[in-house]
Formats: sequence, structure tokens, C-alpha cells
Amino acid sequence: MRAVYGLYPNGDSAQQAVNRLRAAGLADREITVISAQPMEDCEFGEMDKASWMWWIACAGGLTGMSIAFGLSWVTAHSWPMNVGGLPTFAWWPNLIVIFELTMLGSILATVGTLIVSALLPRKGQTLYDPEVTDGQILVGVEDPAEGSIPGLQATLGAPPGARVKTI
Amino acid sequence: MARWGMAADLDRCNGCGACVVACHSENNISTVGDEQASRGRAKHWIRVERYWEGDFPDVRLKFRPVMCQQCDNAPCEPVCPTYASHHTEDGLNAQVYNRCIGTRYCANACPYNARFFDFFNPSWDKPLQLQLNPDVSLREVGVMEKCTFCVQRIRGAQLQARTEDRALRDGEIQPACVQGCAAKALVFGDLEDPESHVSRLARSPRGSKLLEDVGTQPAVTYLARATQV
Amino acid sequence: MTQPSGSKINDDLLRPLFHTSWRFFLLVAVFGGIVALGLSTWMWQARNGYGITGIKWPVYWGFYITSFVFWIGISHAGTLISAILRLVNAGWRRPVTRCAEAITGFALMIGATFPIIHLGRPWLAFWLAPYPSDRLIWPNFRSPLVWDFFAINTYLTGSLLFLFLPIIPDFAVVRDKSTGLRRKIYGALAMGWRGTPKQWHRLETAMQIMAVAIIPVAVSVHTIVSFDFSMAPVPTWNTTIFGPYFVAGAIFSGIAGLLIAMALLRKFLRLEEYLLPLHFDNLGKLLLVMALLWGYFVFNERLVTYYGNEPAHMAVFWRTQSGTFAPLYWTMVTCNFVLPLILLGIRRFRTITGCVIASIGIVIGMWLERFLIIVPALGHKYLPYSFGIYRPTPPEIIIASATFGAMCLLYVLFAKTVPIISMWELKAADHLPAKHPHSTAKEQRLGDSHA
Repeated sequence: MRAVYGLYPNGDSAQQAVNRLRAAGLADREITVISAQPMEDCEFGEMDKASWMWWIACAGGLTGMSIAFGLSWVTAHSWPMNVGGLPTFAWWPNLIVIFELTMLGSILATVGTLIVSALLPRKGQTLYDPEVTDGQILVGVEDPAEGSIPGLQATLGAPPGARVKTI
Repeated sequence: MARWGMAADLDRCNGCGACVVACHSENNISTVGDEQASRGRAKHWIRVERYWEGDFPDVRLKFRPVMCQQCDNAPCEPVCPTYASHHTEDGLNAQVYNRCIGTRYCANACPYNARFFDFFNPSWDKPLQLQLNPDVSLREVGVMEKCTFCVQRIRGAQLQARTEDRALRDGEIQPACVQGCAAKALVFGDLEDPESHVSRLARSPRGSKLLEDVGTQPAVTYLARATQV
Repeated sequence: MTQPSGSKINDDLLRPLFHTSWRFFLLVAVFGGIVALGLSTWMWQARNGYGITGIKWPVYWGFYITSFVFWIGISHAGTLISAILRLVNAGWRRPVTRCAEAITGFALMIGATFPIIHLGRPWLAFWLAPYPSDRLIWPNFRSPLVWDFFAINTYLTGSLLFLFLPIIPDFAVVRDKSTGLRRKIYGALAMGWRGTPKQWHRLETAMQIMAVAIIPVAVSVHTIVSFDFSMAPVPTWNTTIFGPYFVAGAIFSGIAGLLIAMALLRKFLRLEEYLLPLHFDNLGKLLLVMALLWGYFVFNERLVTYYGNEPAHMAVFWRTQSGTFAPLYWTMVTCNFVLPLILLGIRRFRTITGCVIASIGIVIGMWLERFLIIVPALGHKYLPYSFGIYRPTPPEIIIASATFGAMCLLYVLFAKTVPIISMWELKAADHLPAKHPHSTAKEQRLGDSHA
């Protein structure tokens, strides 16, 4: 992997770096920003906010609900047992299991979505510097186009406190 | 389909305890020894409850044989997670020992405390281990057990009747407690048959159910003492 | 008093991970020994039969089910409180959430072992799981114990994930700060965490969804635990109030457990700058509210029983009020109501020490509450011939006590391997969106941003 990136001491200079990259014609998805905490006070912290996660959680819940309903229905009818005069498929008691599996389904779907969509490393998204842990904010470009490196170095070096690295 | 039931005439019961002994020997109920019995581990599928009424010297002693009431709406059944406790088509509360994992929930739910837990693997005071009944399975440690209305005798009589191609006769089936009762206080039979002895007793004005207001719809009718002595 | 920020957070909170003192080994040895004693006692019980306990006809549930309900109750502080505080975005939650969520996870693990310990044939506990078996039979979905199985498994899975997700960025910090094997392990746990805006948004959205999902699950879990009792026609059990009564009691005992854990962590991990008197004061107020709520429920339950005046119910009622169990009952009322009202209701006493004393009282009182719900009623069902009394035997006492050792052991190991306060959430308090122009980040962190 090749990359050019700058380390910035605070959100303001990192914001400047992001703005300059944008002015240089880079799209948001080509810019990598890394921080040790969510930067909700900066504009760049709002990047990539859209997510289908709520809908996926709902779908997971519906799946869990269907599994629970199917399980309780099929098992109750595959060998009907009379217990204490209750109906074979008793709605009120079965709603409890249906509720629990609905919730389990949405929880698992949420976590699965998080891991697959945001956590697992993928090609072209591996730029990292351990200095981020100490509060530096990383702004950089992964796999820049041939010949653009000197220009990027200059752009990234302009904001105050910047330290530019190339790998 | 039959609906098995029992009637216990409290006017006849003299509290001798023969039913308890008969039940123990018929159903391979392990004797736990006196020390464990004193700690509340005895398993009497049928017990004779004794109650004293009145103040000394005008005291009256009353007996009431209590076994599993084989309820229609049995509280012990729906609480079992593994269907070890469930209802058979002829209205018995079946207890499948092999399915039981020993939550003891059924025993807590039973208003009659008619269910017993096996605290240990079965053992008998000598020489009782020599008279086990081959028709009744032994219960491993950790399962619940209770009165079955001697289901082995019910099924045996049903098979016998079927091989002889006839209907069951009233009184043909006798659970061990009924057979052992010298005073003939206990009567067993089919409640679906309006002419059976137990049906007639169940309709008796002296009849009542134990803890009827709990709503369990038991299959055992108790006939009150009719006379003042 | 302000809270530290930036790399001081890293230094302070990673210290327990990188520096091991003899005290850690001592604690692990002591608590590990207690757990080993409990496990071997359980093995002895499984081998020799259940007869070594004090359980008897007709009191078939005793110390184990009491401990089950107690530990499931303790688990209701963490995830539930944390989820509520997250949803209302209370700033002061930040240092508290993780140690609370850890309590939930561990208390649930311990609580969930009790139904297995208490089984007559514990080696067949898996028969509660729905799977196609050679027995051709499925679990009975109409049984409250199967509801328990599903509810506790959902809650345990959800709580552990709810605990784990916000640790991922902190795992990445440990990964960056360490070398060798530790770096590999934490690197795997961090699952490729870098800290891009996308990752932060996804993580926070996931936590929002989890919080929304876990609150009703937590409420359902203790309601279902209460169903274990209220579904049975046992005098004083068969009542509709048990659901909310149990949930309130669970949150009550859970907050008490959380306060004790926070005080210990503060002292032993030197977190005085993070866990402030403010946190104890806020949670103390919450505890006071729960004490009042608990009193309200007990009053309702008692008064309705008293007015109903059914003979079987009244027998159990008087047994606890003035009979055999009266000493335990009035100890419970003192611990759960009188003591918290004095220590938490009077501002001068609502210090860290006051909160901890009240919490210890509440933990004892809530244990007694569950015991007093279970045992007097079972020993006093309808037929006087079958009345009985239960006394625990040493094996039961050892196993029930050993679980407190297990809780401490798990907590010590957790505090040793994971930063006990969410580092990134503390740091994020300096970078909040500028929605509240007249409150600074520091004020927000101290929690009065919504005043």
C-alpha cells in the first residue's frame, strides 16, 4: 500500500486539511480521516453518516420473529401435547418466546452489520498510524494517483501543526 | 375413551395405612431410611392425612387419604419445560421419568403436594429389594415421581380385554391402594361410564373435591363422613 | 473538579493493564480458591445426589432459586441503566457505563448457572434448547422455564455484545500501546478498528439500536423470572403484581451492586478523578427513588393480600409478618426501606460512604426478599398436613456464597484486561456537537448540559 497522510494536533487543522484536499479535487470517499474519538464538533466528523443499520435491525427482528413463530407453531403441532388444558398453540405464552427471538434477531443483525460494514479490514482501507491513539488526527489519501504525491504532500502540509508522512 | 377417577369414602377410611404399604410395594417406591424420612425425603404416593377436630376431651380424629388427584386442569403440566409431565388421552397426569430433568417446578405448582423428588438413587431397607415389581420402572436420582393410578395395571387390563375381544368391566382395574383397602373406602373406575361404581359415588351428595376452589378439576371425589358418632 | 482528557486518560486507564502488582495475584488466588471450593461442592452434590442439600418435601426450591433470582436481579443495573442513560444522552454516564455493563454480563452468567445447579439432573440441562432430537420431542413453549431459557439467553447475548462493542476502540488503543503476544490478541479483538468517521457513526448507531432493543428485553427478563412464581397456584405467588414488583426490585438491587463496585474500583484502581462524588450522588438519588418504588410495591402486595383475606394466603402472610420468618422479614424492610431512606434521603449522608453502606444493606435485603417470596409460601401451601420448613445445609450455603467470589474474580480479571472506563467516550466529551452554545464541553461531561 502507498499513502500520503498528515497528522494534525486538533480538529481545526484537520478540518483545514480535509477542505484543502476537497479543493484539490478529491472526493470524500478518497479521503481517509482517523481519530481517537468521534469528532462531532467538526464538519469532517459528519462524513459517511448515512446507514441502513436501523432497517437491517428491523429486518433481523422480523427474521427472529418468524423463526420463533415457526418454531413454536411447528413444534407444538408436530406432536400435540395436552398440558393442563391449554390450547396446543397458546398465543399468550408463545408471544413471550416470539418477543425474545425478535429482539435477539435485531441485536444479532445490528452487530453483524457493524462488523461486516465497518470493522473487517478491506483492501484500500488499511491506512493507519498508532500516533492517533495519543490524540493526533490523521488525514490522508490511500493509493494516490501516480505523480500526485508531491502535490498532496504540499496540500497536507499547509495547515498549522501538520506533520506529513509518505509510505 | 375412558376418564379414570377415584372415590374415597371418608366414612369408611379408618386410617390403617394399608393403601400406603400396597402402593410402596406395587410401585417400587424406594424407602429412604428413617434419617432421610425425618428430613422430609419420604415418598408416599398416597398418604393418610390425619386431622384432629375439637378440644380435649371431645376430640375427633379424621383421616383423608391423599394421592395425585389426576386433575383435568393440572397446574403441574404446563410448567414442565420438557413435557415430562403431561396429560394422556384418558385423563391421567403422566410423568415420564426419562424426560424429567428435575426442575421440581411441577411439585411447587401442585396444590396437593402430591409429587415427590428422588434425592438419591433408589435403595430399599432389606429385604424389600427382593420384591420389586417388574412392571414398574425404577427412578434414577433427580427426577420427580408421583401416583400414576397404577397405570401399569390399567394398561395391563386394557390389553387383557383387547386380547379377549371384550369391553373392560367395571371394577376390573384395581390400583394397589384400592386392592389393599380392607374397608373398601377407595373405589376406582371410569367416570365416563355413568353406571360405574365410581361415577355413582362421584355424583353422591356427600361428594366433594379437594381444594375445588383452586380450579384444578381433580378426578378424585371425597365422600364426607355422614354420621355423627 | 474537572476530569482529565487526552493522553492522561490513556495513561491513567491503561495503568492496571500494563502494571501488575502482587495484590492482583492475591485477589485472583483468594477469589479463585472460593470459586474452586464452590465448584467442587457442586460436583459433590451432582455425584451424591441432591439429598445433601436442605431441600425437602414440600419446599423444593430454596437457596439456589433465591440466588438465581438475586443474581438476575443484580444484572439489571448495568445494561438497563447504561442503555437508558445512552438514549437520553446523559453526559455523566460516560465513566459509569462500562463498569455497569460488566456487572450485567457477569451477574447474568452467574445467575444463569443456578437453574443448572438446582436441576435434579444437571447433565440434561440442554434439553431446554429447541433442537430436533432423537427423543422426537421439543421443549414446551408454554412452560415459564422455557421462557426463562429464551429470555436469559437473549439478554445474555445482548448484554455481552452491548458490553463488547464500545470496548472495540479501546482494544485498538491497547493494541497500539503494546507489543508481542498482547498486541496480537488485542489486535484480533479490535477487529481492524481504525477510527474513521464511518466506523464511529456505525458504532454509535449500533449502540443506539442495541439500547433500544435491550431495554424491553431487560424488563421482560425479570418479568419472566417473576412468572416462574406467579404462574403457579401457590398462595401469595399467583398475583399480577409480581412482574413490575420484580423488575423494580431488580433495578433496585442492581444499582446497589453497581455503587459497591464503583466504590471499590475507585479506591483500588485510583480512579478518583473519573468516578466523582457526583456519580455517586446521581446514582444515590436513583437508588432512593427505587427504594420508594420498592416500598410502594411491597405495600400494595401486602395490603391486597390482607384485604383479600383468603385463609391460605393469610397463613403465609402471618408467617412472614409475625411468625417464623418475621425476623428475616423486618430485617428486609429495614435494609431495603428504612436504611436507604435515611442514608440517601438526607443530603448530608448521601456521600460515597453513605451510598455504599445503603447499597450493602440493599443487597442483603433484596437477597432476603427473594428468599421470603419463595420459602414461606412453598412450606405453607393449602393442606396443613403438608406444611414444612426449610433449612439450608452447608453445601448450599457454600455454593451460594461462592458465587460472590465468582463475581469478584470475573470483575478483577475484567479490570485487569480491559480499561474499566470507556476511554473513547471520555475523550469524545471534548468533541461534542456545538448544539448547546452556552455550555462548555467540561460542563457537558459533568452532566448538567440538559439542565
